[in-house]
Amino acid sequence: MDLLAAIESSSLASALRHSVWVYPLINALHIAGVALLVGAIVPLDLRLLGVWREQPATVLADVLLPVAVTGLALAMLAGVLLFSVRATAYADNPWFLVKMAVVSVAVVNVLLLRSGAAWHRWRAGNDRYSPPALRIAAAVSLLAWFAALLLGRLVGYFG
Amino acid sequence: MAINERGAAIAKGLTLAAGLLLASTASAHHGWAWATEDAFEITGDITAVALGNPHGELTLDVAGEAWVIEVGQPWRNQRAGLTEGLLGEGTSVTVQGHRSADPEERRVKAVAVVIDGEEYVLYQGR
Repeated sequence: MDLLAAIESSSLASALRHSVWVYPLINALHIAGVALLVGAIVPLDLRLLGVWREQPATVLADVLLPVAVTGLALAMLAGVLLFSVRATAYADNPWFLVKMAVVSVAVVNVLLLRSGAAWHRWRAGNDRYSPPALRIAAAVSLLAWFAALLLGRLVGYFG
Repeated sequence: MAINERGAAIAKGLTLAAGLLLASTASAHHGWAWATEDAFEITGDITAVALGNPHGELTLDVAGEAWVIEVGQPWRNQRAGLTEGLLGEGTSVTVQGHRSADPEERRVKAVAVVIDGEEYVLYQGR
C-alpha cells in the first residue's frame, strides 16, 4: 500500500496527472500497443487454428510475433505510466485486477508455447497442420487477449 | 477453396465483433453513460480534492455521507476556472450535474460547480 502511494506521489506521476497533452499521448501509445499486439496475434492464432493453411508458418510467425511483442512492450510501458497516475485506485479496482490476471495468463501461455518443442517444429517445418497443444495455446491466446482488451475498457468505464 | 471461404467467413465475423465492441465502448465513453439523464443538485463540504487525469474528483460531506463528485480533466477544469486554490477542505460547494444511475452509489458527474455564489461551468450547454 505504501509502495502504491509512493508511486502515485512520484514527480513523474504528478506531472502526468496534471498534464494537458502528455496524458492523452500516453493513452494513445497504450492503445497503439494494444492494436499492434492484438492485430498481429489474431492472424497468427487463426493460422494455428487452421485458417490460411496455405500460407507459410515460418513467414507468418517471423513477421507477426515480433510485431506482437513490440506491441505488448509498448502497451506495458504506457500502461505502467497510466497506472502510476491513480495507482491506489487501480490496485483497488476489481476490473483492473482481473485484467492483470488475464494478461498474466496470456503472457505465461505464449512463454510456454514458445519454450515447447512443438512450436519450433511447427514453425521450422512450415506445417499446414498444427498439433493440438499449439491449437489450444492459440485458442487461449485469442480469448485472453480479447478479454484483456475488453477489461481494459471496463477499467475506464467502471473505474 | 473451402479453406479460403472459411478464412473469409472468420475474418468477416471478427470484423463484425470488433465493430460491435467499438460501438459499445464509444457510447460508454466520456463518462456519461453511467449517470442518469435528470438534473441533480447537491451541496456539501469538501473533505478531499484530487484534480488531474484522467478526471478530477472532489469528495463532499453531505449530512454525514461521503459523495464523490467527478469534475473534468485538467484542461476542462482550467477553462472553467476551477483551481485547487478554490477547493480547500471544508469549503461549501454546490454541484449541478447528473447522479449515478445506481441509487446505491453516491457519485455525481458535475456539469457546473458553485462556490461562494460563483458558478464554474465545466460543460457548456449541458
